Amino acid sequence: MRVFFATDIHGSEVCWRKFLNAGAFHKADVLIMGGDMTGKAMVPITGSDGTWRVTLQEQETLLNGEAEVAAMEKRIADRGYYPIRMSPDEVAASQEDPSLVDARFKQEMLSQVERWMALADERLAGKGIRCIVSPANDDIFEIDPIIAAAKEVELGESNLIDLDGISLVSTGWANPTPWNTFRELPEPELRERIDGLLKDVPDRRRAIFNFHAPPFGSNLDNAPKIGADMRYVSGGQALIPVGSHAIRDAILEYGPVLSLHGHIHEGRGAVKLGKTLSVNPGSTYEDGVLQAAIVDLDVKKAEVKRYLLING
Amino acid sequence: MTTGEMAKAPALFLRNATGLVKGWSGFDAFAYAFMSVNLVALGMFYSLAIFGYVPDGSAVLSILITAVGMTFMAIAYAGLIAAMPRAGGDYVWQTRVLDGIPGAVVGGAFGAIALFLVGTALALDTTFTYGLMLLGVLVGAALGLKRGGIGFVLSATGWWFILALWAPIYGFIFKIEFVQPLAAVFGWKEGVDFFGTADGTFAVSIFTIVVTSALVALGMAGYARIQRWCLYIGLIALAVMFILMLVSSQDAFKAAYDREAMSQFGVSNAYQATIDQGTAQEVAGGDAGSFSLGFPTFALVPFMLFFLLYPNWGSTLYGEVRGAGDFRKVMNGMLGGLWATAGLAVVFVFLAAKAFGWEFFNASNGTYVNYAYGYVTDAPVVPIWGFPGLLASYLIDSHIVQAIIVIAFGAWWLGWTGTLFLSSTRMIFAAAFDRVLPEWAARVSDRGVPWGALALIMIPSVVLSWLYSYQAATFYPLTLDATLVIAVTFLGSSIAATILPYWKPEIYNASPVAKYKIAGLPVISIAGLLSTLFLGWVIYLWLSDPLYGIGVGNADSIKFLGALYGAAAVLYVVARFWRRAQGVDLDAIHAEIPAE
Repeated sequence: MRVFFATDIHGSEVCWRKFLNAGAFHKADVLIMGGDMTGKAMVPITGSDGTWRVTLQEQETLLNGEAEVAAMEKRIADRGYYPIRMSPDEVAASQEDPSLVDARFKQEMLSQVERWMALADERLAGKGIRCIVSPANDDIFEIDPIIAAAKEVELGESNLIDLDGISLVSTGWANPTPWNTFRELPEPELRERIDGLLKDVPDRRRAIFNFHAPPFGSNLDNAPKIGADMRYVSGGQALIPVGSHAIRDAILEYGPVLSLHGHIHEGRGAVKLGKTLSVNPGSTYEDGVLQAAIVDLDVKKAEVKRYLLING
Repeated sequence: MTTGEMAKAPALFLRNATGLVKGWSGFDAFAYAFMSVNLVALGMFYSLAIFGYVPDGSAVLSILITAVGMTFMAIAYAGLIAAMPRAGGDYVWQTRVLDGIPGAVVGGAFGAIALFLVGTALALDTTFTYGLMLLGVLVGAALGLKRGGIGFVLSATGWWFILALWAPIYGFIFKIEFVQPLAAVFGWKEGVDFFGTADGTFAVSIFTIVVTSALVALGMAGYARIQRWCLYIGLIALAVMFILMLVSSQDAFKAAYDREAMSQFGVSNAYQATIDQGTAQEVAGGDAGSFSLGFPTFALVPFMLFFLLYPNWGSTLYGEVRGAGDFRKVMNGMLGGLWATAGLAVVFVFLAAKAFGWEFFNASNGTYVNYAYGYVTDAPVVPIWGFPGLLASYLIDSHIVQAIIVIAFGAWWLGWTGTLFLSSTRMIFAAAFDRVLPEWAARVSDRGVPWGALALIMIPSVVLSWLYSYQAATFYPLTLDATLVIAVTFLGSSIAATILPYWKPEIYNASPVAKYKIAGLPVISIAGLLSTLFLGWVIYLWLSDPLYGIGVGNADSIKFLGALYGAAAVLYVVARFWRRAQGVDLDAIHAEIPAE
């Protein structure tokens, strides 16, 4: 069985489209999206009457006509940002009232996930490729039912999924971060959640842990240290482990055949923790490059036959 | 609403999400670049100590010309960082950009030149040498045609293999800038003598390997704090040295030098004797105030790269680049470090001429280098190198103060040495994740120590340290190879920067650097091309002019370089076949998945 695993695409349209095509391209049997699929930023395109203005990456551009605006919207969306057309009055109101920004974010995220699920249903129909999507700590809870409603996509979070005799157990909950995001738990509670998810797994060695946060101290969790002012310390050179102790302990205790992680975009790599191959494919979604892991499993022996980290 | 009011609209709205930070301090970028183009540990050790070998050249102009050349490279690198942030540096940049026809051309040209030089060094007959050259074209083009090959060869040699040679060089620098001066100041004659032997050189090399490995094992977070303090302490030491040199006369220095030479080594009239020995060895000439723009000045440039080549050394992890402001911050940091160092080097040249006397300064350096490199058998008048920090400290007649100054100068070494193996381990990790190296190369212990990667750099470092120490006549002259190999790697990235807007427009157009153009041409291409031409010219000089001692006149150097690049190419080819036998297709790593 060939598993294609990607994660942390943060709203990048091109990365999602590549993900849906990856099954056919790399002859994968199962596609797994590890979460953090929603974007972090909205880019306002302001104006009216056919002339629009946008600032992307500190470069201001004047757009004339629908074709130019559409091209810019695609460019913004491929980077993982939400292009939003706003009138000058709407911009002013959003600057005054943060709740308007929050509401628009929610609207954009839900709208995108709905579109993505529809696209998945269209592209994966009849292909015989299973697709599991599991939201993670940066994703709002409201996207879960949208994913669950898709025909060709299975919701990973908290659902025990059988993959030819291998149990896939997923959670996007992570240990606490400085950003206080949606799905965070203190380590003891995270461990309780994991143990709860595993109680119905018949053979934990014959399992894949799709846990968003990487195991602590695994090198898959090395992130640039940030100071109290939320700036990188030492130009980003000072790397520290920020993964989860609970997830590390669970991997070492239960010894699943494979564990899949994301969360730390810089933590790309693959390591052995006990008998488990733990993988973080990393993320460079802003470049439009889909970083992913391809893992071939021998389901009879519950062994990893081979793996590859790719830049698609 | 008016246009002016519209311009105040926010560029983007952000929500609270993991990883969103406020960037990094521009000072950090400067500090890394400044410590990497290390004025003391690299510049004074080598580049600023060789002016006597090219007496007709202008020291000042050679520094400035080199800094101009490196400015182009820094801009090209800042552009690559902006276009592919978090990519991890040369390995990924070259792997992503240098493929297809450009990759094949670069690989073919590189292979042809490399095997032609190897054939020449092995004194093969002309037909066989040209046959080798053709083989180089084919192998190099094949490696370059598909993504991964040329990137691996250039990066493995520049960020891994050659750093094994840097280990004993770092050790040697520590020896002659810190250990021996301290031993001399404290009157420990046995120490001076021991560290002057091959055993002493090997001992400091092993010490360096242990220290740098320990810093990797402990992690960069703690070391980053040490580096900050090293920067401050090192700058204070440099300021003290400059002030001493500024306020002292040459006569005062001569008297101080003779006093300490007698006190520490029992040598009388050492100042004049050093000049006489340097004159006899033709290394005491030159004029620090020369501004000649003739060929000798340009001949000095390749020597200057020994310290000015590295403003980009710490540039691969600056984090998420969101806009042109980040591009400018990276660029300004690198250029600030480069030009601050170049400026201080120019000041140093004038102060050395004023305080030490240019003739003495060049003679002191030249006679030591000649003996250490085995060019002459006459030992220098004073048995240790005239490290400028030590020479300046002699102006204060107190061994305690002299020791404090030398120890403070040690901060330049300590704050810089920790990154030696860090770069290698990152390169090894990247290659292991790309399945070119075995899995164990990327394994870490429960405490996060990358023993496999460390072993892959430590073991060759110990071997080369042994060779550097005990086969000094062969390996000391290869010191400049350590710079050449890294320059070749940077040349590869400069070429990648040049072609990026045309060969990979989707990456370039999506980057903040796309807004910078001159006369309609992308700045990254202009800077990349000028950097390519500059580095290409310097590499040509290194390989073709016997002055540098590492090119066609030194068969050992060519064989050494051939072994490095050959090993990298063989490793990559073997890995491809080995992985294919395991059912792993390395081509799949970089195959772009269609979006539609």
